[in-house]
Amino acid sequence: MNEETHSPLRADPHLSRFEPLERILYYDDFDDGLHGWTQLIGNYEHSLDSVLPDYADLRQPQLSNLSMWDTGTAGSAMGTYALKLATRPKAGGLSVGIKRQTYRKLTRLQFECYLCFKPEATELRLSATDVRAFGVLFDIQGGYRDPRARWMPHLRYLNALDGQRAGKWQTKPETRTFHTIGSSGETVSHFHLGPEGWVDVPGGDQIVCYNEIATKMNWSYLKIGLDLEARQFTGFQCDEQIYGPEGMHVISLDPMPNLFNMLNVAFWVETDVDKRAFLYVDSCLLSAEAV
Amino acid sequence: MPLLRESVTLPIERNILWTGPFATEPAEAAWAAEAIFFIRALKVEGKPGSTLAQVQISPDGMHWCDEGTTFPLPAVDDTVTFGRVSHFGGWLRLVGEMPPGAALTVIVYLVLKG
Repeated sequence: MNEETHSPLRADPHLSRFEPLERILYYDDFDDGLHGWTQLIGNYEHSLDSVLPDYADLRQPQLSNLSMWDTGTAGSAMGTYALKLATRPKAGGLSVGIKRQTYRKLTRLQFECYLCFKPEATELRLSATDVRAFGVLFDIQGGYRDPRARWMPHLRYLNALDGQRAGKWQTKPETRTFHTIGSSGETVSHFHLGPEGWVDVPGGDQIVCYNEIATKMNWSYLKIGLDLEARQFTGFQCDEQIYGPEGMHVISLDPMPNLFNMLNVAFWVETDVDKRAFLYVDSCLLSAEAV
Repeated sequence: MPLLRESVTLPIERNILWTGPFATEPAEAAWAAEAIFFIRALKVEGKPGSTLAQVQISPDGMHWCDEGTTFPLPAVDDTVTFGRVSHFGGWLRLVGEMPPGAALTVIVYLVLKG
């Protein structure tokens, strides 16, 4: 190692927290805007009423400075603003933020981020089981002249279910039935974030740092690896815990006519009680072995 | 190269039916210096009359007070009304109450700039 070029004094402290592969595809620090992270909506034709009900009200991302009622503004991990997802105050409510790109080489990818999850601080108690889950999903399809399957790796941290602490990582092998939307025959939709069908990652139990009241935030590191050629997870890491890829499943679908080279990434958060659940993302980085 | 201002449009409600009292979800706006709420009527039922939407602000996203800005609800399908706000701190929302027999299906946008 060249000590001069690897000196911490010469490092970029924003990027030094990450372990990117050879090429950085994007690095998003939400101190300077949304960076393409937007709301997920179901497909529609002619009327918004044609959206599948589960897709109708996935709440949109916003920019937050993490201001708490008791201690004021915390700011984000490396600045002032974070991407924030907030559900409605209704058990099972979801908020999703998605970023849509394409890829140009079947290679290994790695997604890293710093995040934290909390319920809205409407009660003066621990509230550690109020957030049901948060997760990261990918939606990927092969290239135009290489019509490989569409595949959707989903990784979620099930924090609690029906008031009981769960504390485990899960993946999802199946989506729901496809529905025809509208009358043209051009549009379909399927809901893939339902509560059913999640499979525990073997040995995937973990209590991610929550702290002791709803207004104390600790930022956790999450790293997820994918192999675009093999269409598989290559494993993941949360803080110091490393998991997989054994026993990690993905949703596999037939290729679709308008999704070639798609490379979408989404965060989501789900509430377990009639209280808003929040997911904050300080920053994220997508890197590739090659481009 | 000029430093361009940040600007975000949040569809804080979409295809939502308002009857009786209504309140939009809390929106974080600490980064912004100015805001416009737009209400677009997808469908008007009954007579909203002179019902007003009222802007509220909050120190924490949980406790709300009237900011003072009010504006009318759209009274005809596919029309839009708006209210401008500035100097609002960290949180914004809209509240109001539909009169008996009236209902409004809306898209509500919060356009922030700072």
